[in-house]
Amino acid sequence: MTQPFHIVVCAGVAPDPLQTLEPVSGPQGPALKNEMMLPAVLDPWAAHALYEADHLAKAIPGSKVWLVSMSPKPKLQQVLMTMAQKVGFELVALDGPASGFADYLQVAHALAEAIEGIAGLQRDRLLLFGGWESAGRAAGTTLALVGERLGITEQFQAVDVLRVGDDGLLEIHERTDGGKHQVSLCGGPPALLGWATGNLPEPPNSPQTGMVNMRTLMPALQKARPVGVSGGLQFTGATLPKQQRATRVVKDASVDEIAAELAAWIRG
Amino acid sequence: MEPILVLLHTEGDGALHKASLEALSVARALGCAFDVGLVGGNVNPALAQIAGCGARRVLALDGADFAVSRYSTDCPAAVALFQETLPAVVIAPCTARWQRSLPGAAARMGGAADTHLTGVALVDGEVEVSRWFYRQRIEATFRREQRPWFLLVEGGIRAPYSAQGYAPAIERLTLSVKPRTEVTGMIAPQGSTQTIRPEAELLLVAGAGWTKKQKDGAIHIEQAGKLILDLLANTNASLGSSKSLVDLSGEGHAVLPFLSHLNQVGQTGSTPRHPKGLATCCHGEEPHAVGWRFVQDRRAVNLDANCGWARGKADVVYVADAFAVMERLNALLAKR
Amino acid sequence: MEMQAVERARMDVDVVCVGFGPAVGGFLTTVSREIPLEDGSFPQILCYERADDIAFGVSGVVTKGRGIRVSFPQLNPADVPMATPVTVEKVYYLLDAVGASRRSAALKAADAALRVSGALRDEAFELPYIPPFLEKHGGMVMSIGQFNQWVGQQVMMTGAAQIWPGSPVAAAIIEDDQVRGVLLADQGVDLAGNATGAFQPGMEVRAALTVVGDGPVGPVGRQLDAHFGLPPGNEQRDWAVGMKMVVDLPEGCNLPQGTVLHTFGYPEPEIFGFLYVHPENVASVGIFVPSWLENPVRTSYRYLQHFIQHPLLWKHLRGGRMRSWGAKTLNESGRRGEPWLVGDGYARIGEGSGSTNVLAGSGVDEAWMTGVQLGKAVLELWREGAPFTKDNLERTYTSLRRTSWLEEEALAAQHARDGFHRGVVPGMLGMALAGFSGGRLHLPGLPEHPMPTLEDFYSQRIPATELSLLKQEAQARGEALHDAVMNRCGWPDIPYDGQLLMTQQDALLLGGKVQAAPGYANHVRMKDEEVCARCGSMTCVEICSAQALSPGAPTPAFDREKCIHCGACIWNCEYHNVDFRAGAGGLHSAEN
Repeated sequence: MTQPFHIVVCAGVAPDPLQTLEPVSGPQGPALKNEMMLPAVLDPWAAHALYEADHLAKAIPGSKVWLVSMSPKPKLQQVLMTMAQKVGFELVALDGPASGFADYLQVAHALAEAIEGIAGLQRDRLLLFGGWESAGRAAGTTLALVGERLGITEQFQAVDVLRVGDDGLLEIHERTDGGKHQVSLCGGPPALLGWATGNLPEPPNSPQTGMVNMRTLMPALQKARPVGVSGGLQFTGATLPKQQRATRVVKDASVDEIAAELAAWIRG
Repeated sequence: MEPILVLLHTEGDGALHKASLEALSVARALGCAFDVGLVGGNVNPALAQIAGCGARRVLALDGADFAVSRYSTDCPAAVALFQETLPAVVIAPCTARWQRSLPGAAARMGGAADTHLTGVALVDGEVEVSRWFYRQRIEATFRREQRPWFLLVEGGIRAPYSAQGYAPAIERLTLSVKPRTEVTGMIAPQGSTQTIRPEAELLLVAGAGWTKKQKDGAIHIEQAGKLILDLLANTNASLGSSKSLVDLSGEGHAVLPFLSHLNQVGQTGSTPRHPKGLATCCHGEEPHAVGWRFVQDRRAVNLDANCGWARGKADVVYVADAFAVMERLNALLAKR
Repeated sequence: MEMQAVERARMDVDVVCVGFGPAVGGFLTTVSREIPLEDGSFPQILCYERADDIAFGVSGVVTKGRGIRVSFPQLNPADVPMATPVTVEKVYYLLDAVGASRRSAALKAADAALRVSGALRDEAFELPYIPPFLEKHGGMVMSIGQFNQWVGQQVMMTGAAQIWPGSPVAAAIIEDDQVRGVLLADQGVDLAGNATGAFQPGMEVRAALTVVGDGPVGPVGRQLDAHFGLPPGNEQRDWAVGMKMVVDLPEGCNLPQGTVLHTFGYPEPEIFGFLYVHPENVASVGIFVPSWLENPVRTSYRYLQHFIQHPLLWKHLRGGRMRSWGAKTLNESGRRGEPWLVGDGYARIGEGSGSTNVLAGSGVDEAWMTGVQLGKAVLELWREGAPFTKDNLERTYTSLRRTSWLEEEALAAQHARDGFHRGVVPGMLGMALAGFSGGRLHLPGLPEHPMPTLEDFYSQRIPATELSLLKQEAQARGEALHDAVMNRCGWPDIPYDGQLLMTQQDALLLGGKVQAAPGYANHVRMKDEEVCARCGSMTCVEICSAQALSPGAPTPAFDREKCIHCGACIWNCEYHNVDFRAGAGGLHSAEN
């Protein structure tokens, strides 16, 4: 029988992917224009990690899921009203920036410290989950550093599959270059898994799950510790790409003409 | 200038991938003294590839333990090479393998790592790097005070290094590791479902329009699937998709069974590098089009003359029915 | 309401609210401040909102803010993103700048007189003063999305109420004419509503009080109207589509922050418009396309594009960039369309309760006020320990509403627009009569009558054979007819620039950022295929704000990934054949 897991999911918030983003210059370097006005979502890759954590915790009784997030408190609260209906978790909140421009070193240190402070968390059962990359930085560095701080030597990134064997071994499929997956067998926790998209659909909204989460969610938000992130990086510029092309719109050509032109282009 | 270590890993055959040779060129272009560290199962074939590169020292950690990509062996290997040379800056290719392990190695050395760098330069004697934030939406340049600083560079910044003269002498390090993880193999999509080809000349992107009702009021999924796969077969193109189409597949709709999230191009998908890209039945909205940042020559087939592609995102937009165009195009390409 | 007969999970709470907008915002703000109650109890209050976020509302908000200031007496507009005090207010009559507008002989004569008078600038005539019933001086310009977000965050931080977005309410649970709570929409179903492997039946949320604030076309409000009927003498027949853009004004634009422009006369004489300037050189600009524009191919998006190009506006907007876009239905019947405000176990607030005031051109503040009033009533009943019966709710909520400025102004406005049934000029006269007499005088309307047929409506402008051809061609292209007809009537092509003038599809993707969550059924269906087959005009397709409905057989085709839930199809089908249910998704813009 597999031992229950203690699964800690690190997840920040990110602007809803559909939003138009623009940089502005702030005292701490670049920032997103109207960042607090933009609708936010739980970072898409981290959200997949949370779904996987929930799935795993349900499959192995006795397992528990914590969600550790550093984000501006009002934004986190708003995003969690959506997420809390989908999966069960206990929240550990830090009130700090969710900006992609914030230095990951300080973010990771704050997250690691928060995880170290979780009462009852057993390191020998710990699976540290998160997004492989984030919507803001897309660097794949924060989670790795949190893992190092927690002394986790088995780290996996771009994970799409985790299977727990009867023997307790973790079979992990990581994305590699060229659309392939590398398969590994890990001896067991503690381990770090940075998730790509996995294979689970977004869970439906469940009012009961939401109500259960609410018991701990608001108190956790209310005691969210403020974390300042400053310095580290010295930005010298942040710009939107100016890749406006002079598009040639071919309106009145026949299918044959278009196909011929495309064939020549592909062959050329 | 600060001392540099170029960290490279070899492939299964012991050779260096193009991305590694490009990273070597990035380091050379800085004009500073540098060392090279190699990690792999057997690094000997790589030595010829870096002949004449100008490295002060070439060090290696190789053997069966280091033949595969694995955090628990790659991270200590990188640390060992680092400790032997004590550089301030480490330059490495941003491959899946190094991206997995070097941020952790930087952490162990008390340093920082930045990945997916699209530019590395010396500005006023200081290293300045550029990369994209918010999934190719905003490009920023920055410096760091923290050292050591690991720079993982994307491909395409510099031409791959081309060997000259003799292979360099090599200093082999040894390191004992006891990994708790065993890499048991690779899984590649089977046969015709292998639709992602990073080295392909052409990226074909399929949008959700393929699954919508066509002019006759009916949906033609099977025909759409055949047209797309035929084009892939005819051109060896890599297949990308918009998010909406991938999501439809995930919803259990009977749509294009060969598509998965791995095919998704765009803000929440990949940003592939191909010389040419052809978008079909795809509107070209910003969250998708940001995934085209590194596709050079872009064309689109769309029924809407005012679609996003026509608004400066593509070089050519053909206003036409993609079903008809693809059918004819496949016929032309198959003839050859 | 047809729902799958399955076993459903059940939850019992004290209060369940349907929809989160200004009305429910006012309600939750009021009650959450008093929780825990004096006796130490902590009533459980839930709110379910269909949209994916509490900030995804739409409104062109310029408001006196009297109701809002009841809740926030010290409100500084600068605390709410995109809000700012009104600084400049003007009313303009817009002349036809392109010669395609459908104007009566009387209006043409008036236009000609204005042109020779020399009183025009930029093809517009500025009214010498603003009628007091319309003016918003001392008020503020806002974004409803940002205001909702600001309110919602504060309510949730109290911990006294939970607001759950992405949770469509399918129906009220009605037993023996008592409302017992609500039923959430089923998930894990295919587009037709059939259970899939991931089927999760919508939950029953039973509550002592159900607060219905799901807007002018909310499915629960309409269900209650269908079940209980309207009070004698009341009718809902006047509607409008309000469509807006939020625009980054071009650099160098000299419109002061807080500028408010009200317009009428263009692109069609029946269409009212607005431009409000937010902080940081951002403006909201939009139009209202009313039900009394009796054109069977009425559209909003195309008219909005012509509206912003009117010389008066274009001189400010040219070079700007659309950053957001959206549309909604307005229940313009107001007080006259008021449903039963309360019943056993439920209360109606907000626009669906007939609170919108068409004379003042104001809805948000009125909706907020209804929520505040219900909040006060609920607190009173809790203190009394009295149940939420119809009598108790009438004694508290209804009587508060009846004795407030809300009722007084609603009564003054209730016949203000009846004159529009006779034409634009009588309509304007009727508004002025009602406005200046406090509602004592008005021009009577006409009994409701069928919309003219396409052929009749265009009989003076397009030969029937040509019209028929245009219709066939549009159907073959799978498009609505309005573009072809408008082009034929002389409306110029839209010079797309991809920035401000963009296709409807780009507006959906770049401005409205529309999405539909998987796992829910199509929320728009046609009740009877034969009714659609007989319909000659398909006004539902023409008015659809988002091209979500397109010509199809036997019924128009529906693409829910485009639907913004404006609900215009409901009241534009004169056969009442559109079954508009609870659905998830829609706009993803927080700035409208």
